[in-house]
Amino acid sequence: MSEAIKIIERKEIPSGAIMLFGFPDVGLVGVIAAAHLVEELNLAEVAYVDSKLLQPLIVLHEGLPHSSIRIFGNHNLLLAISETPISADAIYQVMDALIDWGKSKKAKMMISLSGIPIEDRQDAKELKVFAAASNPEMLKKVQDKGIEALMEGYMVGPQAIMLLRCAQIGLPAITLLAQCFLNYPDPEAAAEVLKGLATVTGVKVDTAKLLEKGEEIRLKARDVMKRTQQEMSNMKKGQEYDIPVYVS
Amino acid sequence: MPTKRNRSIMDILDNYFEELEEEFKKWRETLMERPSWNQKACTMEPLRYIRVTPTEVIVTVDLPLTKERSIQVKPVDKSTIEILATMKRKIRFTDFGITHHKGEFQKLHCHLRVPVPVYMEKMGLRFKKGILEIRLPRRHEHTIPIE
Repeated sequence: MSEAIKIIERKEIPSGAIMLFGFPDVGLVGVIAAAHLVEELNLAEVAYVDSKLLQPLIVLHEGLPHSSIRIFGNHNLLLAISETPISADAIYQVMDALIDWGKSKKAKMMISLSGIPIEDRQDAKELKVFAAASNPEMLKKVQDKGIEALMEGYMVGPQAIMLLRCAQIGLPAITLLAQCFLNYPDPEAAAEVLKGLATVTGVKVDTAKLLEKGEEIRLKARDVMKRTQQEMSNMKKGQEYDIPVYVS
Repeated sequence: MPTKRNRSIMDILDNYFEELEEEFKKWRETLMERPSWNQKACTMEPLRYIRVTPTEVIVTVDLPLTKERSIQVKPVDKSTIEILATMKRKIRFTDFGITHHKGEFQKLHCHLRVPVPVYMEKMGLRFKKGILEIRLPRRHEHTIPIE
């Protein structure tokens, strides 16, 4: 594990769990979905990330300090969530440390929850969920469950690093991406990505409350969205719109 | 003795764009490092996005919890729009778990500058799923003929 990034365990970590990631990205889909999972499944904080590479920032909850990147969990699930965007300079080391830690805990699969922006999102009647996987078997598995694969294109951000790193170390991984707004928090897309998660893993949560509180979440998430936009721009997130030139 | 260096047009342009990018970065940071709410005016600042196409400028503004009929869009001058909307209910800091600030908000308010000339009087408005969409036809004042 990277010396610059420490993962401090607060509770016993289950072995063989599914490890999920919900980090700030387009539409804050991953963060909103992850926060909903923590609430609905009553997940407890089991570990947190400590690093001088991160912004000098803590999150205060009920008057007590917490790391902005925490890992929640229960007996069969681990969920890494960041409450603030991770800078482009630190993202590789943070993701590598989390994945190596997950591997050391014998995580059986890693799934990152995120979004894929679409134009005219407000006119979309249904939001599709797409997937990309770390190996052909995982890709087939999600396709067999009726989730369309992202066949060609660029992916930028934590989910991209996760997928590549997992492919390198032979850990099964999927990125689920729900169609969403680019620059606005999108609780509807978060609900869709959670449905995709349920399809793939069987981890089901009721998304009715998420949709009910959707407008409030959008209002509350404005500041995180604004900072995420800045980080997305630093990461050149716009490259996801580019058409790649493949060399076969 | 100082040496005189001839700068190519490309160097000048590169320099210009670097300076422009630096200025934009500073401006963006200034915007970022201030609160997204105004306690005195009891307003919150909505998220917005501007897209320029060859024929129009499309502005979207995220207006959650807003009453559609309360939305006011006013052109302030040739390139600035002011948006004001009333929310369905008052939002207090305590609703977000914040206890170290006091205040309540019932309006969303922002100004935005359109980056290219447009026909303000031909503005089209639409409100769907809490997103206000403003469409402004572009005014093409100069065209340079290709010889």
